[in-house]
Amino acid sequence: MKRRLSFRLFVAFLTIGVIAALIAGFLIDRELKGALMRWSEEEMAAEARLIALIPPDQVSARIVEFAVSAGARITLLDAAGRVLADSNPAAIEPGNPLYRTEVQEARLRGEGSAVRYSRTLAIELQYVALALTERGEIKRYIRLARPIQDVVRSMESFRRIFLWVLVPVLFIPLLLCLIYSIRTISPIGKLVAFTEKVQVGQISGMVRIPSRDEIGVLAANINGMVAVLQEKIRAADGEKRKLQSLFTGMVEGIVVLDAGGRIETLNRGMEEATGRSQGELIGRTPLEAFRNISLQDALERFRQSGTPTFREMTLGDENPVVMDVTISAIRGEAGGEEKTLLVFHDVTRLKKLERVRTDFVANVTHEIRTPLTAIIGFVETLEQGALEDREKTYKFLATIRENAERLNRLVDDLLTLSGIELGEESLRLERLSLEGALDDVLALVTARVFEKELKLIREVPEGLPPIRADRDRLAQILLNVLDNAVKFTPAGGSIAVTVEPGDERTLIVRIADTGVGIPKGEIPRLGERFYRADKTRSREMGGTGLGLSIVKHLMKAHGGRMAIESTLGHGTTVSLHFPLYEEST
Amino acid sequence: MEEAKRHTSAEYERELQEIRDGLLYMGALTEKALEKGTTALVERDSELAKQVICEDDQIDRLDFELEEKCIRLLALRQPAARDLRFITTSIKITGHLERIGDMAANITEKVLILNEIPQIKAYIDLPRMVQIVRGMIRRSLDAMVSEDVELAHRVREEDVIIDRLNEQIFRELLTFMMEEPHKIQVCLYIMQISKSLERIADHAEGIADMVIYMITGKSVRHQPTCGPMG
Repeated sequence: MKRRLSFRLFVAFLTIGVIAALIAGFLIDRELKGALMRWSEEEMAAEARLIALIPPDQVSARIVEFAVSAGARITLLDAAGRVLADSNPAAIEPGNPLYRTEVQEARLRGEGSAVRYSRTLAIELQYVALALTERGEIKRYIRLARPIQDVVRSMESFRRIFLWVLVPVLFIPLLLCLIYSIRTISPIGKLVAFTEKVQVGQISGMVRIPSRDEIGVLAANINGMVAVLQEKIRAADGEKRKLQSLFTGMVEGIVVLDAGGRIETLNRGMEEATGRSQGELIGRTPLEAFRNISLQDALERFRQSGTPTFREMTLGDENPVVMDVTISAIRGEAGGEEKTLLVFHDVTRLKKLERVRTDFVANVTHEIRTPLTAIIGFVETLEQGALEDREKTYKFLATIRENAERLNRLVDDLLTLSGIELGEESLRLERLSLEGALDDVLALVTARVFEKELKLIREVPEGLPPIRADRDRLAQILLNVLDNAVKFTPAGGSIAVTVEPGDERTLIVRIADTGVGIPKGEIPRLGERFYRADKTRSREMGGTGLGLSIVKHLMKAHGGRMAIESTLGHGTTVSLHFPLYEEST
Repeated sequence: MEEAKRHTSAEYERELQEIRDGLLYMGALTEKALEKGTTALVERDSELAKQVICEDDQIDRLDFELEEKCIRLLALRQPAARDLRFITTSIKITGHLERIGDMAANITEKVLILNEIPQIKAYIDLPRMVQIVRGMIRRSLDAMVSEDVELAHRVREEDVIIDRLNEQIFRELLTFMMEEPHKIQVCLYIMQISKSLERIADHAEGIADMVIYMITGKSVRHQPTCGPMG
């Protein structure tokens, strides 16, 4: 590129130089030749005039002598063209010399000249003729002829000198112009190299050209452009990074589908929610990626309606997550492809909470309705005439009372539960003796233990450290657990109550029965509200389904915990871990 | 001309993708049917079961539509090599999926009856079987999407597990029936469900076979599986 431009410049200079030299040489050559010819002609004419002054017979006699001193052939003609004398008779041409151009010119104007090729001598000759007149009448002609070889020779030598001078005279400016063209082109080369670098994306640095001409200005402009470009790129990069970090940092899962409906991009939130990497999902259709019918249906609906679509769906197989998906269009610049944006919002926790709440409401309603139905039923029976039968009336009233009490218990339990759920603040924690509390509760259940012919084993060591608890709540915990043990242990069984120190900060109360036991799979659910391992039996026994739930929550509020071990058909052990009373607290 | 050619090729690509998506959709539907059927059994939810039976119509309709699409493509585009194998195997796969759908509906019909009679014990093995069978359907189609021969072979091997579970259930129920004749009715229905699940696993294996053929061009059908049992 660079070489070609300087070469072209050089060739142009060379051509101009050569053409100028040729034109000059041609003009000089022509002028010089003309001048030389004219000069030779005038010289011959002067000689002819000198000869004319000499009497003709003397001329004829000494013609060769004259010819040698004039350096020319001399011919003397009479008026009719006859040759009177000739210094070189061998050169006489055939034909009448009177009709030669020079003689004719002399006849008309007194003097004449011509340049002609002499066939006899085989060289080019210059002729000059002079008419000699006597009383206005032409008597004779004198003609001088000289070969123009001299002129030709001097022209040749001139040309040789001219050429010898021309070559160095041309060479020096050419050398200069070569240097000049290279110096002009080299900054352009620098610019070319720099712009090529910029073109492939290496937008940094600047090009340094010190000259103050147009090329210098061009370089400065290019530097300016690169600086602006760099600034713009930096700004765009910063913006892009900001958006990128927003995109990846979002908890919501984001998926972008291209115009062909394939996954183009997704963020980390989505990777985390589905547990799959970008590599697995990009380029797939949503159906290939998630295999989800709800999502596919929602997408189909979105494609048909074109309006943002919302759908709730479950994604994933092993760890299902409930997702709220919003499908909307991304419209880029006019004429661009239309993309689809899917935003996934994990609502699994919300769903679970919602489920717990609705379940709770359903359970409460159910639990309340059962005794209410009984009460209403019996009241109606009484109204319809059973009142007459005293015996039945008492029986019915007893049942109504029993159900009303159950309702009352339920409401109490619910109040307790909601109280506990407020947290520790509702507790009045104080220094308590576990032994004392346990004995109080045992006294309450003793009657029923005897009734069912159960054996009660009490193993409480002396000198137990005090625990930190709310007196009433502690009683409730122990009563609920003991109550369950009594309820679910068939007649003849035994209940063992043992107290032992746990680690340095806890005291463990174990209440083990030999009752029906609980299936292993159901143990974790025992603390749930209204959960009953054995639904029918529990209700028969007047339980509210809230007992263990209350225990669990109360233990938690106390800073302790409840653990249950059970073997189906062999009995259940409930362990209550109480925190010890510490002075500092 | 060039433009038209490219357009046609993009159109063709789209049609192939439609078939692929159709198969996946059908697969997802059958999985859903199985899942709901199991939930209906475990939670004794007959409403859910009825819903599953109704939804089988959708699977049947999809099977018909997909087959039409495949035949149309065969006739109009004259596909060659891989595409030809894909389309022909797709026809077979949709057949397998349709049968799976029917069996899921069958199972659910049995669930409806089972929900009317007292349960003899908690269902543990059946949900496990369903879990494995669903995995097989899913993975066989995954293998199709990702063209993963290895995965397809693994699906074939899983069939052995299902066969063993089916036998185990059979033996267990046989003991129940011999001990307590009044449980025979329940046991028979459970056996039928187990058998249907075993058949579904066979169909999933069939899909995996088709996928292997689609990818490699070699047929593995009617070859003994070299599973963990040897």
